[in-house]
Amino acid sequence: MNENMFPLSRDELLQVYQTMRTIREFEERVHVEFSRGDIPGFVHLYAGEEASAAGIMTHLRQHDHIASTHRGHGHCIAKGVDVKGMMAEIFGKKSGVCGGKGGSMHIADLDKGMMGANGILGAGAPLACGAALAAKFRDNGDIAISFVGDGASNQGTFLESLNLASIWNLPVVFVVENNGYAESTSVDWAVACDSYVDRASGFGMPGVTVDGTDFFAVYEAAGEIIRRAREGGGPSLLECKMIRFFGHFEGDAQTYRASGEVDDIRANQDCLKSFSKTVTASGVLSQADLEACDTEVLSLIEEAVSSAKAAELPTEADLLTDVYVNY
Amino acid sequence: MARTISFKEAINEALDQEMTRDPSVIVMGEDSIGGTGSPGEDDAWGGPMGVTKGLYGKHGNRIMDTPLSESAYVGAAIGAAACGMRPVAELMFIDFLGVCFDQIYNQAAKFRYMFGGKAETPVVIRTMVGAGINAAAQHSQMLTAIFTHIPGLKIVCPSNPHDAKGLLIQSIRDNDPVIFCEHKSLYGVEDEVSEESYVIPFAEANVMRDGGDATIVAYGMMVGKAMDAAKNLAKEGVECDVIDLRTLSPIDMETVLESVENTGRLVVVDESNPRCSIASDVSAQVAQQAFKSLKAQIEMVTAPHTPVPFTTSLEDLYIPSAEQVADSVRKTFN
Amino acid sequence: MSINPSAISVGIVANPVSARDIRRVIANATSLQVSDRANIVMRVLAAMRACGVQRVLMMPENGGIRSLLKRALQREQGLGENSFPELEMTNTQISGTVADTFAATKAMLDSGVKAIVVLGGDGTHRAVVKICEQVPITGISTGTNNAFPEHREPTITGLAVGMVATGRIPEGVAFAPNKLLRVDINGGERSDIALVDIVVSTERYIGARALWRTENLRELFVTFSDPEVIGMSAIAGLLKPIGRNDSGGLYVSLAVPEQAKTVLQVPIAPGLIRTVGVQSWQQLEAGIPVILKQSSGMIALDGERELEFGPEDTVQVTLHEKAFRTVNVGACMRYTGEHRLLVGATLDIPIS
Repeated sequence: MNENMFPLSRDELLQVYQTMRTIREFEERVHVEFSRGDIPGFVHLYAGEEASAAGIMTHLRQHDHIASTHRGHGHCIAKGVDVKGMMAEIFGKKSGVCGGKGGSMHIADLDKGMMGANGILGAGAPLACGAALAAKFRDNGDIAISFVGDGASNQGTFLESLNLASIWNLPVVFVVENNGYAESTSVDWAVACDSYVDRASGFGMPGVTVDGTDFFAVYEAAGEIIRRAREGGGPSLLECKMIRFFGHFEGDAQTYRASGEVDDIRANQDCLKSFSKTVTASGVLSQADLEACDTEVLSLIEEAVSSAKAAELPTEADLLTDVYVNY
Repeated sequence: MARTISFKEAINEALDQEMTRDPSVIVMGEDSIGGTGSPGEDDAWGGPMGVTKGLYGKHGNRIMDTPLSESAYVGAAIGAAACGMRPVAELMFIDFLGVCFDQIYNQAAKFRYMFGGKAETPVVIRTMVGAGINAAAQHSQMLTAIFTHIPGLKIVCPSNPHDAKGLLIQSIRDNDPVIFCEHKSLYGVEDEVSEESYVIPFAEANVMRDGGDATIVAYGMMVGKAMDAAKNLAKEGVECDVIDLRTLSPIDMETVLESVENTGRLVVVDESNPRCSIASDVSAQVAQQAFKSLKAQIEMVTAPHTPVPFTTSLEDLYIPSAEQVADSVRKTFN
Repeated sequence: MSINPSAISVGIVANPVSARDIRRVIANATSLQVSDRANIVMRVLAAMRACGVQRVLMMPENGGIRSLLKRALQREQGLGENSFPELEMTNTQISGTVADTFAATKAMLDSGVKAIVVLGGDGTHRAVVKICEQVPITGISTGTNNAFPEHREPTITGLAVGMVATGRIPEGVAFAPNKLLRVDINGGERSDIALVDIVVSTERYIGARALWRTENLRELFVTFSDPEVIGMSAIAGLLKPIGRNDSGGLYVSLAVPEQAKTVLQVPIAPGLIRTVGVQSWQQLEAGIPVILKQSSGMIALDGERELEFGPEDTVQVTLHEKAFRTVNVGACMRYTGEHRLLVGATLDIPIS
C-alpha cells in the first residue's frame, strides 16, 4: 500500500507539498499583516492557486525564465526566490530581494530566472518571448513561461506575443491562470471568444485546458508542453482553471462574488486538501509527514515576518542608487 | 584610416563591427532584412531606408525581420537583454512609441531600480526622428523629450556620420537601455569617418565652434542650422560658441554652463515642439545654475506647438531655420 | 416565457470544453472553436424546426456556446425568421464539471424530451448515457477521438432527430440498440460505464487523463471494433473488426511491445500512430463478467483515466447488449427518402 504510483518520487512529492504549503501560509499571513496596516501599497494574493505554480515550476530549471503577473508571490516562491527576502521586500525593507525598492508588485530575482512580478498586466508576455529568444540563440534547451491572468489575456501585448512566439518558433509557454475574475469583472463577459484555447488556435499554436486545482493534472500537462518547447516544438498555451481565495487586491470587499462563494471554494476546491488526500490515500506520504512539513513552513513564515519587521528601512542614499549601471 | 561615408553607412558599419566583435549582439526590426517569407530577394530592403542592408549576408540569423508588432518584439528585445543578450531593436519611427511605450518606460527603464540593482538591460532601440521629407504629422516628430524625462533611459541623438558611428558603438556596449535617435533627413549626409571601431562616451558634448559672444546649443539636425547661423553672424561681427549636445540623457551641462558663464548669452535650438522640450529643460537648468552670468534673456528656437504639416511650404516653416537661430542670437543683444 | 408543455421537445447537451486536453500537444488533435460548436447547434436547431420540433432544452454552460447562440438567435428573430425552435436552458447548476451534464440530462428526462442530441467527445456521451435511461441519444463529434459518435453533417443529424421526435419514423427503423461495458470494483463499491472501450494501464494516477504511453497498457475491452475509428478501440479494430450491431465485444491482452507476441501500429489519437504490444485477443460475451488480470493500475473509460485500483481491489468488466438506444440517423434518412417524407412546401406540425 506504500507503493509510489505517482510520476514523482516521495521526496519530490513532499517538496511539492512544501512549496504549495509555503505559498498558502505566506499569502494567508500577508493577508493578516496587511489588515493590520503594516504593509505599504498594494498586494495581490495567490492563495487557492498553488497547484498551478507548483505543477508548472516543478518542471523548471534555474535558468528557465518566468515572467509573472501582479499576483506573483506564488510564482516567486515556486521558482525558488528566497522567502525571507520576499517578506522583507513586501514590508519595504532594505534586506528585501529588491532592496525595498520594488515591493510586492515588482518582486524579482533574475538569478533564479524570475523576471519579476509586473504591475502592468500583459507586459510579461513580450519579456518572456525575449527570454525564450535568448535561450534559442544560446541553444541550451532553456525555456520561458509567461503567466497571465484571464483579464490580461485581452491585452494587446499578450496577443502580439502569441503571434510573435508562433512565427519565431520560440521555446515559450503561455499560461493563462483563469480564476474567473479580472478584478471585478467576470471572464464570461470579458473574453469574446470565451476560450483561451481558441485564441491559441487563432495564433497557430496548440492550447490545452486543465483543472488548475489538481496538481497532478497541471503537472502532467505542463510536463508534456514544456518538454515539447525544450525540444524545439515551439510555443503552446496552457489554461489553468482555478479559483482565488482572496480579492483582486487586499482591501477588495469582493461584493462581485456570489454569497458563500469563497467559503464554498475553500471547503470544496482547495488544491492543498485534494493533494493531501490523494498522496495520503496512496500511502506514499503520511499525515504525519505532511503535518511535520506544515510546522516547518509555519515556522519559516513566522521567522520571515519577524525578521522583516525588525529589518531596517532603506536609507536616503538608497533613493538615488541603481537607476543606471553607470551614468 | 578615415574616408568619406554617409550617416546611414556609418550606422551600418557600427552595427556590422559590433556584431562581428560580440556574438551576443542581435538586430531586429520591421524589414530590417526585408523579404522574409517572400519569394523574391533576401535582404530586399535592409531596413526602410536601407540602413541595415548587407548585415543579413554577413551575420545570418542574428538579424531578424519582425512582424508589425512593436509591443511584442521591442518587449522581446528587452527581455532578451535582461537575460544577457545585447539586442538592437528598431522602432521604425519614434512616432510609433505609443504602441510599445510601456515596455520601454515601465519595464526596461525601471528593472534595475525596482529589482534593487540586480538587473541589467543592455538594449538599444534605434529609431528615426525628425522632419524634412514631407512624411507628415505621424512620421516626423522629434520626441526626444518624452524619453529624456524617464529615469533609467539614455537618449542619444548624433548630428553627423562620425558621431553616429562612435555613439552607436558606445550605445551597444553600454549596459543601460539606450534610445538611439537617427535623424531621417541626415541619412544622406557625408563626412569623414574612421574605418576602425571607436566609441564616443555619453555626456560629452561637442564644442563645434568657439566664439565667445554667444552660446548656441543644439542637437541632431539643428546643429547644422546653428553652424549656418554662426557663419552668418560672424559676418556681423558676432562670434558664437556652437555646442552639439550629442546625448540628451545623460546630458553634458558642464560644457554648456562653462560656455554660458563666458558668453552670458544663450540660444537653445530644438526641432521639437516647445512645451517641456529639451530646449526648455536646458534653458531652465542654465537659468538655475548660471543666472548671474546671463547678460540677456535665454532664447529658445523650436518648432511651433503644432503637429508637423505635410506640404513643403508649411514644413519648411515648421522646421527652425538658420535665420531664426541668427535672429534669436541678435535678440539677446537688443 | 411559457411554452406549451406538451410541445414536442428535444434535448441538447453541448460540451464547451471537450477537445481541450493534452492531446493538442502530444498528438495532432485539433481544438474545435466555441463559435464552431455554436454553429453546429444552429444547424441542428434549423433542421429540427423544419420537421416541426418547437422546443429545445439545452444544458446551460459558461463556456460560450450559450451566449453565442443567444446572439445568433436574436439576430435571426430580428430578421423576422421563424426557422428556429424556442431554446430554453435546463434549470440546473453550472459548475463547469461533468456534474452539469448529469443534472441537465436528468432534467431533460423529467421534462419528457423525445431524444437528446449530444455534442462532445466520448466522455460527454458516456455521461449522458449514465442518466438518459430509455431516452434515445444521438451524437455529434466535437471531441478529440469521437469513437462513439458517428461522423456526419450535423444538419442531417438534426433532420433525423426531428423526424423521429415528431413521430414520423417507425420505432423499428428509428432506433438502434447499443452495447456498453460496465466496470465494478469490489462488487459495486465503485462502478462506472464505458460506451466504446475500457483500458487498464499500469499508471496509477489520473493526472492529465488522456492515454498515450502505450507501453503501459495491459488489458483492453471494447464494445465494438471499427478499423475506421481512432483511439484505444482501434487496437481491436485492427485485429478483429466487430460492428456496433454485432453480438459481443472483444477482449485484448496487451504487453510492453518488446515482450509482446505481436506488435501493432495503431492510430491511438488524431495524427498519432503508436506501437502497441498485443499478446492475444478473444471474443467478449455479453453478461459474463471478466475479472481483470492486472492486480493494480488505472482504468480508463473511453480513453480517459478514471478509476485507480490496487491489489486489495476486485475488478470486473461486463459487456451489456441493448443497454441504451441511439437514433439510427442513416436508417431514418433512408426511410425519409424512400417514403418521401420531406416532400411538400412545409411539414404539418403534428398535434401530439
